[in-house]
Amino acid sequence: MTYVISEPCIDVKDKACIQECPVDCIHDAGKMLYIDPTECVDCGACEPVCPVEAIYYEDDLPEQWSSYLTINADHAAAGPRFDAP
Amino acid sequence: MAIDRPGHEPASTFSRDRVVIRFAGDSGDGMQLTGDRFTSETATFGNDLSTLPNYPAEIRAPAGTLPGVSSFQLHFANYDILTPGDRPDVLVAMNPAALKANIADLPKGGVLIVNTDEFTKRNLTKVGYAANPLEDDSLEDFQVHEVAMATLTRGALEETGLSKKDAERAKNMFALGLLSWMYHRPHEGTERFLREKFAKKPDIAEANILAFRAGHAYGETTEAFAVTYEVAPAKLAPGTYRQITGNTAMAYGIVAAGQTTGLPVFLGSYPITPASDILHELSKHKAFGVTTFQAEDEIAGVGAALGASFGGALGVTTTSGPGVALKAETVGLAVALELPLLVIDVQRGGPSTGLPTKTEQADLLQAMFGRNGEAPLPIIAPQSPGDCFHAAIEAAAISVKYRTPVMILSDGALANGSEPWKVPDASTLEQVDPGFATEVNAPDGSGEFWPYLRDPETLARPWAIPGTPGLEHRIGGLEKADGRGSISYDPDNHDRMMRLRAAKIDGIPVPDIAVDDPSGEATLLVVGWGSTYGPIVAGARRVRGLGHNVATLHLRHLNPLPANLGDVLGRYSRVLVPEMNLGQLALLLRGRFLVDAQSYTKVSGLPFKAEELQDVILDHLDLGALADSVRLEASA
Amino acid sequence: MSTDLGLPSLGAGAGGLDLVPTTDAKQTAKDYTSDQEVRWCPGCGDYAVLAAVRQFLPTLGIKRENTVFISGIGCSSRFPYYLNTYGMHSIHGRAPTIATGLATSRPDLSVWVVTGDGDALSIGGNHLIHALRRNVNLKILLFNNRIYGLTKGQYSPTSEVGKVTKSTPMGSVDHPFNPVSLALGAEATFVGRALDSDRKGLTEVLGAAAAHRGTALVEIFQDCPIFNDGSFDLLRKPETKDQRLVPVRDDEPIVFGPENERYAVVQDGLRLKVVSADSVAPEQIVTHDASNHELAFALSRLSDQDLTHTVTGIFRNVDRTTYDDAARAQVQQAKDRNPTPDLQALLDGRDTWTITGQETR
Repeated sequence: MTYVISEPCIDVKDKACIQECPVDCIHDAGKMLYIDPTECVDCGACEPVCPVEAIYYEDDLPEQWSSYLTINADHAAAGPRFDAP
Repeated sequence: MAIDRPGHEPASTFSRDRVVIRFAGDSGDGMQLTGDRFTSETATFGNDLSTLPNYPAEIRAPAGTLPGVSSFQLHFANYDILTPGDRPDVLVAMNPAALKANIADLPKGGVLIVNTDEFTKRNLTKVGYAANPLEDDSLEDFQVHEVAMATLTRGALEETGLSKKDAERAKNMFALGLLSWMYHRPHEGTERFLREKFAKKPDIAEANILAFRAGHAYGETTEAFAVTYEVAPAKLAPGTYRQITGNTAMAYGIVAAGQTTGLPVFLGSYPITPASDILHELSKHKAFGVTTFQAEDEIAGVGAALGASFGGALGVTTTSGPGVALKAETVGLAVALELPLLVIDVQRGGPSTGLPTKTEQADLLQAMFGRNGEAPLPIIAPQSPGDCFHAAIEAAAISVKYRTPVMILSDGALANGSEPWKVPDASTLEQVDPGFATEVNAPDGSGEFWPYLRDPETLARPWAIPGTPGLEHRIGGLEKADGRGSISYDPDNHDRMMRLRAAKIDGIPVPDIAVDDPSGEATLLVVGWGSTYGPIVAGARRVRGLGHNVATLHLRHLNPLPANLGDVLGRYSRVLVPEMNLGQLALLLRGRFLVDAQSYTKVSGLPFKAEELQDVILDHLDLGALADSVRLEASA
Repeated sequence: MSTDLGLPSLGAGAGGLDLVPTTDAKQTAKDYTSDQEVRWCPGCGDYAVLAAVRQFLPTLGIKRENTVFISGIGCSSRFPYYLNTYGMHSIHGRAPTIATGLATSRPDLSVWVVTGDGDALSIGGNHLIHALRRNVNLKILLFNNRIYGLTKGQYSPTSEVGKVTKSTPMGSVDHPFNPVSLALGAEATFVGRALDSDRKGLTEVLGAAAAHRGTALVEIFQDCPIFNDGSFDLLRKPETKDQRLVPVRDDEPIVFGPENERYAVVQDGLRLKVVSADSVAPEQIVTHDASNHELAFALSRLSDQDLTHTVTGIFRNVDRTTYDDAARAQVQQAKDRNPTPDLQALLDGRDTWTITGQETR
C-alpha cells in the first residue's frame, strides 16, 4: 500500500511533505510532487501537512483522482528524477 | 528375643509400636545424610515413617554455634502414621549446641546419646553453658549415654592412614551404626549407598563403612547399651513401596505428566530454597524429553516456560514464595494468553526472604490473588510428600485441557519430608490429548483462524502451535476480542472476556469433598489444606481415642473449591481451620460461604504437632480441662 | 576459550535457518501483511522498519508458519500484530525470555524479538544480556528512538545527558547506555546497526542476522516524530549524513565521506580515530574484521551519543555453539543412551519393598 499525491498539488508543490517524509520517498518531478510506492512505508506523515489536501491513502483516493495512483507509480518507475536540490 | 554379645549379657530387646529419633549436630556434621540413611533403612524394613529435616539457611554457620545446629527427625512405626512426631524418644546430640537447642523437646525418661568429644570448655562457652551439663545433674531426667564418637571413630580408622580430621568426619556414620544396631535396622543399603556416593574416592567410602560398622559393634559389645528395640513392619496396604520426598515426587510427577500428555517438558527455573531439588532431579531425566533451563532470574524462568508452551511444550516453572512474587506478571500474561503452564510454589517462611529453610503455607492468597486484574487460575495443594506426584500430573492435565496456568502449592515440610510411597502403576496413569488445533475455525466461514473461539463445554481456546500452516495468529497481554482474538478496547467485550476467563476456571470439575466423620455425630469440623493433613488427622485420631467426636476434611483443590463444600460446611455447627499462616483459608471460606470458620494459626516455621492439634480440637469442643488433664497424665 | 562437551553440533558455519523448513512457493510482502490496521503515529520510524521487514521476510524462502515474532511492551512492540506470522505481544522487557524458551524447544522456527530502548535496556536489561551471552538462536531488533513514546515522553536509557523530557524538566542527569558496546560486552556473537530509513542497509543487516546461527542484536536508529523528533537528523540530512555515517563491511578498509571529502578510520593507540583519508597511507587504514571483538568494541566507541561518527553495518559476526543447539544435543544424547526410558523403573527407584496381599501394586 502507499500514499498518493493527486491533482491539487499541480503547480503548488508546497514541499512540506518532503520535509516530513521519514524515508525520502517524495520526489519533485516537474509540475507536481510524486510518492514512490515502492519506497513509501504508509506512515502517513505527509498527509496532514499538505496545505491543499492533495495526499490520500491509496484506499481513500477520491474517485475523480484515481488515475493518480498509476501516475505516481509511473513517475517512480520512469525516472530519471529531478529531485529538489 | 536376645542378641548374642560375646562376653556380655545379651541385650534385651523390647518391642515398640513407634519411635521418634532426632539426630542433631553441627551443620557440618552430616546430620541430614545420617537421617536420610536411617530413613532408607527404616523404609526398606517396612515401617511406616515420616520425617522432618530442619536445617539452617546458612550453608556453614560458624561451627559449634546454636545457629549452626542442623537436625533430622524421623518417626517410624508398625502402623500408619501421619506426622514426623511431636517429641523425640531418642535424641542424638553431636555437640553442646545440638544438645542445648534440642534438649527441651526430649521428654522425661527419653534416651539421650551425646558425643562427648565435642564437650570442650570452648564449645560449652560458645553456646553459653557455664558448666558441663554432662557433669552436673541437669540431665538426670534422661537416660544419658556418653559416647566419645570422634575418638572411637578415629580408633576404628587408625589403619586406613586417613588424617585425624578426615577420620573424625565419619563420626556421623558411627552414630548411624550405633542407632542401626539399637533398632535392628538392615545395613546392606547404607554400605551400598556409601560405596556409590564415594565411588571416586574408594578410601573415603571404606572409611565411612568402617565407622558405620564400628558404631554397630560398639552397641553390640559395650555394656552401656543394655536394650535394643524392635519396631515391627507396618501393615500398610498391599503393594510396592519406596521412600520418597515431596520434591522428588514432584519431579517424577512432572516427568510423568510429559508422558501422559505426550508433550516435551520444558522447565524454566531459577535456584531457590526449598525448590531447587526439583530442578536438580529433572535435569537428570532428559531421556524422557525433559529440557531444563536454569534462567538468569525468576522472571526469565517462567517466561521461557511460557515461550515453550506457546511452541507446544509443557512449560513448567518451580520456585518458592519470593519467586512467585517475581513471576506474577508473567503468570498474569499466561492467564490472558490462555496457554498451559505449571507454576510450582514450594512455600517457605515469609515475608521477603523470611525463613528460607522453614515451612509455612502463607502463599495461598498470593496464589489466589497475587496478580494484577482479575486473573484466576486453578490451585492444587498436595497433602503429603507422595501426593506431590499426583498433584503434578493432575495439574498438568487441567493445564493442558483448559489452556490455563495452574499453581501447585507445596511447602518446605512436604518438599524435604519423606514417607513410604506406594509406587503407582505407570500404565494406569490417565492420558491427556493436548488436541492441538490444525484447522481454521471461523464460524463465519471466512477461512480464518480465531484463536479465542472457545470450546463450548470447557470454554478452553484452541492451541495452535507455530509451524501449523494457515493458523498464523498473534496473541498478547492486551484484551482480546471474544472469539476472533484481535485487540479489543470495547468495554462490553472486556467485561465478557473477564467473566469467560473466570467461568472457565470455575467450571473445572474437581471431586466432591469427603468428610472423615466416623461416628457421624461430630459437631466440630476441622478443615485443612496442604501439608497440615498429617497433624490434623493425627490430632483428630487422638481426640477420638479419648472418646470424642470430631470430623475432618482436607482440601486438595483450593481453586475451584469442591462444589459440595458449602453444603458440607453448613452441616457442622463449628468449623475450625488450622493453618501455618495467619488465617488465609479461613478468610476465603468466610468470604465464600458466610461460615463462622475459626482459625488456629501458627507460623513458627515448623509443622503442627499432633498433640498441639489434639489440644486445640479439645478446646474447640469446650473440653479444655480434659486437654490439661491429658497433658498432666502424659508428663507424669 | 570453550569447553568441548562432546556434543554433536551443526558444525562451523551453520546458518540461523538451517533447521527451518523452506518453501519454493513465491512469497511477497503482502503474504506477510496481517489484516490489522497499523496504528503508529504518522511519520514514525516503525513504519519504515515494518515495510523493510515485510519485504525482507519473503526473501528468506522459509515457511511463513515457521516464523515467530515476540515483542515486549512499547510502541515498537505492536510490530507482531502487523505481520501475518505467529506472534506474541508479551510483557515489558520479557520478550527475550519467552523467545529463549520457544527457540530452545523448537529448532524448526525462525524466532525474532522486537523491542525498544526502554523495553530491552531498562526493564529487560537483564534478559537482554543473558540472551546475548547464551547465544540462543534468535534475532533481536532493538528499535532505539532514545525516548519513551508509549508512556508519552520520558527519557530512556539511551537518552542524552541533559535531555529535557516530561520527567526531566531540568534535563536528564542519567548517563546513557551505548547499546552496541553493551551487547559486545555481553559476549554477543552478532551485533549490527542500521538506520530505519536506510532500507538497503537495514535489509542487508537483517539478512546477515537471519543467516547467523545464534543471538543477533540489530540496533535500529529510529525517529519518534512526536516526542523526540529529528533525533537522528544528522544521519539523514544530505548535508551532514555522509560526513557522519561510517558504514563498515567485513574485509574492507573503513573509509567514508562525500566524494570530495573522504575520511578514514585509523588506529590511535588502543583506540580508533577518524582522519582525512588523504593524510594517511592506505595500509594505515583499518580494515574491518567482524571476527575481531576488540575492533568491534573500538568501533562502537568511535563517537558518543552526539552522532559525530556513527558506525553502521555489522560490528561483529562470529560462530559459537548456540545454547539451544547444545541443550537439545544433551537431550538427544540422553535419549541415545536410553532410547526407551522406563517411567515405571524411574518411579520404582532402587529400594522398594513389597507388602503382600491381594493387590500387588
